[in-house]
Amino acid sequence: MKHLWNCFCRELGLIKESPRYLILLTAGILFSYVFFLTFMHEGQPENLPIAVVDQDGSYLSRRLCHEIDATQGVDVVAVYNSHSEAREAMQRQEIFAFLDIPAGTYSEVLDFKTPHLALYSNNAYLLAGTLSYKTLSTIGKLTSAAVQREVMRKKGYSEDQIMGMIQPIEIDAHLISNPWGSYLPYVLTTMLPGIIGVMALLLTVYLVTNEYKLKTEKIWLSTAGDNMLNALIGKLLPYTCWFTLIGIIGNIVMFGFSHFVCLGSFFALSVALLLFVMAMQAMGVFLAGLIPDQHLAVSVAAIYGMLSFSMSGFSYPVVSMSPALQAFSYVFPLRHYYLTYADVAMFGATFTQYWSHLCLLLCFLMAGCIGGMLLNRWAKSNSNDAAIEC
Amino acid sequence: MKNFWHNITSGLKDIYDVFTLELYRIFTDGGVMLIFFVGSLLYPLIFGAIYKHECIRNLPVAVVDDSQSAPSQRFIHELDATPEVNVNYHCNTLSEAETLMRQRKVNGIVYFPNDYSDRLAKGETARLCLFCDMSSFLYYRSVFTGASSVMLDEMKHIELERYAMAGVTGQDAETAITPVPYEDVKLFSPAGGFTSFLVPALLALVIHQTMFLGIGILSGTAREEGQTVAIVPERLRNRSVYRVVIGRSLAYLMIYIPLVAIDLVLLPRVFGLPHIGRLDDLCLFFLPFLLATIAFSMTVGSFVRQRDTGIIVCIFFSVVLLFLSGVVWPRSNMPLFWKYFSYLFPSTHGIQGFIRINSMGAHLKQVQFEYQMLWVQSGLYFLITCLLYRVKFFKYEDRAVCI
Repeated sequence: MKHLWNCFCRELGLIKESPRYLILLTAGILFSYVFFLTFMHEGQPENLPIAVVDQDGSYLSRRLCHEIDATQGVDVVAVYNSHSEAREAMQRQEIFAFLDIPAGTYSEVLDFKTPHLALYSNNAYLLAGTLSYKTLSTIGKLTSAAVQREVMRKKGYSEDQIMGMIQPIEIDAHLISNPWGSYLPYVLTTMLPGIIGVMALLLTVYLVTNEYKLKTEKIWLSTAGDNMLNALIGKLLPYTCWFTLIGIIGNIVMFGFSHFVCLGSFFALSVALLLFVMAMQAMGVFLAGLIPDQHLAVSVAAIYGMLSFSMSGFSYPVVSMSPALQAFSYVFPLRHYYLTYADVAMFGATFTQYWSHLCLLLCFLMAGCIGGMLLNRWAKSNSNDAAIEC
Repeated sequence: MKNFWHNITSGLKDIYDVFTLELYRIFTDGGVMLIFFVGSLLYPLIFGAIYKHECIRNLPVAVVDDSQSAPSQRFIHELDATPEVNVNYHCNTLSEAETLMRQRKVNGIVYFPNDYSDRLAKGETARLCLFCDMSSFLYYRSVFTGASSVMLDEMKHIELERYAMAGVTGQDAETAITPVPYEDVKLFSPAGGFTSFLVPALLALVIHQTMFLGIGILSGTAREEGQTVAIVPERLRNRSVYRVVIGRSLAYLMIYIPLVAIDLVLLPRVFGLPHIGRLDDLCLFFLPFLLATIAFSMTVGSFVRQRDTGIIVCIFFSVVLLFLSGVVWPRSNMPLFWKYFSYLFPSTHGIQGFIRINSMGAHLKQVQFEYQMLWVQSGLYFLITCLLYRVKFFKYEDRAVCI
């Protein structure tokens, strides 16, 4: 215990000596929090720019333009005369969708013929394309409904009957734990802790290999009483505390000030965060033990770290990946953190439901132990080499 | 005149020397080789494997049918038949379904209240409840799309029945139900899938980031080894900095031309991603994209004092740059500050331009703004790099600068 404490104090001394790295990383993490919270502050994009191709130029088409403009989701930024003009505007990314009203629409409606509207949306930009499509298709349905209602009123039906005719079924959608359908909680709750984790991983690889690079591993080990476990815990503990603290403060900002929904216990989420940071550090130790060359180890850690975001499955579900990749996703701690978050915050799960994710996070510490053993071997072989040279 | 020719030939020779030296440094550095060649080729393959399926199919849902009637059962059967969802569980109570949802065995619940069929029989509006798992937006999208498509189908069915009761049938009824039908055309990615949307952006980002990272590492290593910003031949000390900058740029350009051809031209075809852009437009666009990225990386690289700082800065910016590019979150809805901030990075314009030419079939005319911005960036960052090198060469004049 004394050795561990000594090692801890030595690391604090090292941080005090050159705090550059820790300051850089902390600044980076703070920047990401500020960036993401301000960048998507709308939650769901509103007033997306769209256009109307009005070849009809009638009372009905003008009225449709106004109706579309009045909806919250989209904003009519231009009215074009031809389809190709609108398509080019879409390619210039001035608009995400457009409604094509062919000539003679109004007169056909009056004649009880069926004119056809066409709705074009840009799916190369998924979010904007889907949302503007959704708004425009609602308008399309409402147009039909409005005409239908007028006809039925003239035929003498009551308002209740008309509603029953126009809309026989209604879906009452409940979006669990994200009633606004906001993009923010969906992206940030996993991505921001993920960034902290990747930083912790890179820093761990860098710090551990640095001891070997600067040939200070003997001093480091002797401070820890020649026990690699003590040495690693003592060395990494300050960073574990620091990154977990930032993560918890970040969660307080997200769930407190930004009002993201957290149905379960905040404490459980904090524990998951702590275990996540530790798991990332353990993976760092493992990689450092596996690859003794600092430059290569940091590069490999960078590649592994970047994959965490894709493999965690918060944007693209892991169940849609191939079985091999589904199995591979287990070696990314962010995956387990994301699953814990979803269980705790979105479904208000109790310990009986999410304990398995926490256990899997703990398993990563085993990788850390293997890394420690490898590091121990490097240290010994280094000192043997030194002895031979003497 | 003679002097002029001498300047040109010595300039070209210096550029060539720097060029070969830089190539030597790249090919002798394992970390840089890993990033340049393995990173830029492996990442696209991994992304291609991860995002292989465009859409989520057969998402498990639970249904709770309190109405126990023919219309609700028909709805359930049709729901089960949609490609988006699979009705895996039939529950008796809502709490039973809720438990399944908590255990993550289902991603959605469809609930029919006991008055569902009564209301339909009376000709009123019947309501059904949908509970969506919001832990991923794609779950929500699938469950919602599945349920609404069945709803629209059912609605038409019921409306036809009701009109028939009122004595309107056949084509008249069809016209009465949808007096103004609309057809929807989903341009540029007919499946509306996640893959066609995200992977092209990631491919362009991989080019930008591996180059940025590689150059950052090279600059950092040079600094760690006690050099100024780059290792230059002895006789070039304090002389025409632009030769150093051009020489280095050419080395990176030469390495990246085949990589871009593989990542941005070949892979979209191999992965079956949209690729309707014209090749000449693409090639013309890649040139300023590469140049701007090289110049930008060298500018940032000259601030990198240690090798691993470069890696950390790069990793950290990868996620931020993807969002700044306006692929995920629309450009029109970015706060103004971040929009102008995004103009600093070649990736913003590079990704935008690449997607529009490659996936949307735009010509250079339609990506004019991005194209011009990339040239402006190339020039600007090139000048800044020269300036920074100049200052550093003066500042560290006494340092050993050797081959």
